[in-house]
Amino acid sequence: MATQDSTRPANSLRDSVRFWRQSLSSVLPSASDSTVGYLFLLPAIALFAVFLAFPIVYTLYLSFFRFQGVGGETLFWIDTGFFSYRLVSIANLQFVGLSNYAAMFTDSLFHQALFNTVFILLVQVPLMVGIALLFAVALDASFVKFRGVFRTVLALPVSANLVAYSTVFLLMMQDSGLVNYVLTGIGLDPIPWLTSEFWSRMTIVGAVTWRWTGYNMIILLAGLQNVPQQLYEAAEIDGANRIEKFRYVTVPQLRPVLLFVFVTSTIGTFKLFSEPVIINGGGAPLESTITIVQYIYQTAFIDFRLGYASALTYVLIGVVSLLSAAQLRLGGEGDA
Amino acid sequence: MANIELDTLRKEFGTGGQTVVAVENVDLDIHDGEFLVLVGPSGCGKTTTLRCIAGLEDVTSGTITFGSRDVTDLRARDRDVAMVFQNYALYPHMDVRDNLGFGLKLSTKLTTDEIHRRVEDAAAMLGIEELLGDKPKELSGGQQQRVALGRAIVREPEVFLMDEPLSNLDAKLRAEMRTELQELQHELGVTTVYVTHDQTEAMAMGDRIAVMNDGVLQQVGAPETVYRSPTNEFVANFIGSPSINLFTAEVEGSTLVGPRDFAYDLEDTAPVAGYDRVRVGIRPEDMQMVSEGGTTATVTVAEHMGNENFLYLELDGHEMTARIDSAIRPQAGETVQFTFDEDALYLFDPDTGDALKTKTDDVDTDVATMATE
Repeated sequence: MATQDSTRPANSLRDSVRFWRQSLSSVLPSASDSTVGYLFLLPAIALFAVFLAFPIVYTLYLSFFRFQGVGGETLFWIDTGFFSYRLVSIANLQFVGLSNYAAMFTDSLFHQALFNTVFILLVQVPLMVGIALLFAVALDASFVKFRGVFRTVLALPVSANLVAYSTVFLLMMQDSGLVNYVLTGIGLDPIPWLTSEFWSRMTIVGAVTWRWTGYNMIILLAGLQNVPQQLYEAAEIDGANRIEKFRYVTVPQLRPVLLFVFVTSTIGTFKLFSEPVIINGGGAPLESTITIVQYIYQTAFIDFRLGYASALTYVLIGVVSLLSAAQLRLGGEGDA
Repeated sequence: MANIELDTLRKEFGTGGQTVVAVENVDLDIHDGEFLVLVGPSGCGKTTTLRCIAGLEDVTSGTITFGSRDVTDLRARDRDVAMVFQNYALYPHMDVRDNLGFGLKLSTKLTTDEIHRRVEDAAAMLGIEELLGDKPKELSGGQQQRVALGRAIVREPEVFLMDEPLSNLDAKLRAEMRTELQELQHELGVTTVYVTHDQTEAMAMGDRIAVMNDGVLQQVGAPETVYRSPTNEFVANFIGSPSINLFTAEVEGSTLVGPRDFAYDLEDTAPVAGYDRVRVGIRPEDMQMVSEGGTTATVTVAEHMGNENFLYLELDGHEMTARIDSAIRPQAGETVQFTFDEDALYLFDPDTGDALKTKTDDVDTDVATMATE
């Protein structure tokens, strides 16, 4: 008797589940296996659609309009008495065709931002990859002790808070900051790190390099440790010296990893934002340090020219895609 | 071309305060143009010895001389050696032509045309001309093997070093390459040191073979000599396939008394003088089946190879192998009797393993002196 009592609630639960399942399957169009599969994917797809796909598409849409204020105009409404729904427009827009894109040709601040970004890219990425490779090779050498400690210390900057580290750089680079104090201490002239056009860009280069070198070093080190030792031995027997081994064995073997580092660093530089904003806020001339993303931010959220900012965003995407494709093309041929 | 001389070569590896002796005071003279095979079980120090000769390992003590040149402290690239690695170690990003020419490009002042010519000559010699434009990953194992070999040949070095170069090939290809490699070496006449763990390969290929165990050189000699006159039980056991039959016997007067009803009257008791126990060794091919008067053994497995039969015998817990004529066909479970000639008998010291007596029949005296080098 006791056992029957205890099974009854379980049975009734099972019955109700079965009932719901049956009524659900009668409502749904015959749920094949793949339909069920897509149902499971729905949460991810919904989030992706709302937070990624829609903004991407809407940005493209926006780039053909001029933003004239927040919307509010009713686009669609339904009122059944006890349930009502009203869909309002997001923004009040005026169609301008391609004129946002055309405007870029004559926008000198945009040209300046593009120049600054490309300048930082051309100086910073090779510099950083070079230093990272140097550190990686040094740490890979068999005689280095405390490898783990060095690796951790060198990679640590990447975990630094963007605003915090930029602020520290800003303080160090002041006219009377630590760096100039050291420079004058060893008998050199102080450098106008924040006020000169050239040096303020270099300050950003320095800051970004400091932050990301260790991160890239870890990736390169992992790549180095995958190079078979026998290839170095074969090269040694073939008469290669240290530099030739590096050139003919290490670099070709590291090629896919180097490519990854170059492509991700390039994309990262084009997305540069916090550092220039902080350093700019600290008194650096805007023209010499403004980056594309900073300019987009300013256009969109300070000037509220959302249409133009959207167009700029798409141009940025185009430039980054082209550059990455070119790098992949150049670096990806052959194999390692 | 040069002879290679190892003088009390010693290599220790230090692992966290603990020292492991990989090669212990090896003395070895490799003749000019000779094909010497270093053979031994895994971890016996043969590869380390080879890497010391190559210059890939620093020696702990001792000297290495090529001809009159002391190369002990020279780097590998200054020694004029070529090496074939077990995994070939071809440069994956270079095509076959560049793989072959890389050493010439770095270590000689030859013109590009001259390098091309030598690369093509080497490729022709190995029959890989049509592969020159391919990358290593497009090649089969056998083809990669040839390229690795070509890379060594094209350099025209003083010394060839080969570290188990055939072990990654299938059995048929391995046998083919074995012959080809020997022909090539004889044609080029370059002093060659070849490392293998496969005693069959060693016997088949070496002008002389050097047997190593636990970092110690056990014996150097012509394959035939090492087979017939091993210096100790280890060499006797390692060389020969199937392996020699070994068991312990008591010495009772002139009779050796062993497991089951094993009793053998020695005509010559000099080798066992002073011993009350010895290790007895009989090669499988020296076992003769007799109808009576021999030692009784039980057949556990009979393998019929066509031209001969292998009998696996059991003798009071001792496994023995006999290699007999295919006309004699005992079945598993049957009892047989075997004997052997005293000439074919090996005797070893039960404690040190040193040989007390080895095969005495028709051993070339010339070769016998070489064996003691």
